[in-house]
Amino acid sequence: MSTLHLVRQSAFASNDFAQCLSVLDHQDSIVLMDDGCYNLKHTLMDSLIKRIDGTININVIASHAQARAIEPTTEVKRIEMSDVVQLTFNHEKVITWQ
Amino acid sequence: MTSIEQTSLNALPKESGLAIINSKAPFSSNHGKDALDIALIFASFEQKVSLFFQGDGVYQLIADQDGKLVSIKDYLKTFSAFEFYDIEDIYVCQQSLVNRQLDEKFHIDGVQVLTSIEFSTALNSHQHVLRF
Repeated sequence: MSTLHLVRQSAFASNDFAQCLSVLDHQDSIVLMDDGCYNLKHTLMDSLIKRIDGTININVIASHAQARAIEPTTEVKRIEMSDVVQLTFNHEKVITWQ
Repeated sequence: MTSIEQTSLNALPKESGLAIINSKAPFSSNHGKDALDIALIFASFEQKVSLFFQGDGVYQLIADQDGKLVSIKDYLKTFSAFEFYDIEDIYVCQQSLVNRQLDEKFHIDGVQVLTSIEFSTALNSHQHVLRF
């Protein structure tokens, strides 16, 4: 049972991202969108990237990051909103963190 | 008020105007736009306004942003009008920048980066404060 996590809030302003990471399981996917893009520069992201063993995939909506002048790191895959639709089909559940 | 407090207050520069604290990121809420509107209204009535950027509010000042990409009318461009409204005191919290791994690269000129202590001193010298 894998879960798609849609992270929409800045970890600098709320606990959502920390809570998301605490329930994150193998084979889950994360999509950073809206203010969630700011999490790319958060220390929680650094520790997540160290933790990933190739089964968790981290994505960011490219236009949302670009609007905020954030350059995603290579570990994070840039996607479009239309790709999120496919991701929802690839996972049994979706959790929106907002 | 004790005499000690009076002495320390007198030592501060006499800034009796309005302080506006911006603490929210620019695109996910109306807070930044509302703060901007209030600042420009006060300034157009020749009231002294100082702007403070703290926490996620510092994202409002970062260069190379583009609200059009997320279908938002980019009110950040209006920040360049501050000098015409004589809004000259724009302060940003250095610690908030460091925490977010942000460079001191802003889309307007005249932004002053202050340490936490300087930031609080500057804020406390104002008579009125609005926080967005």
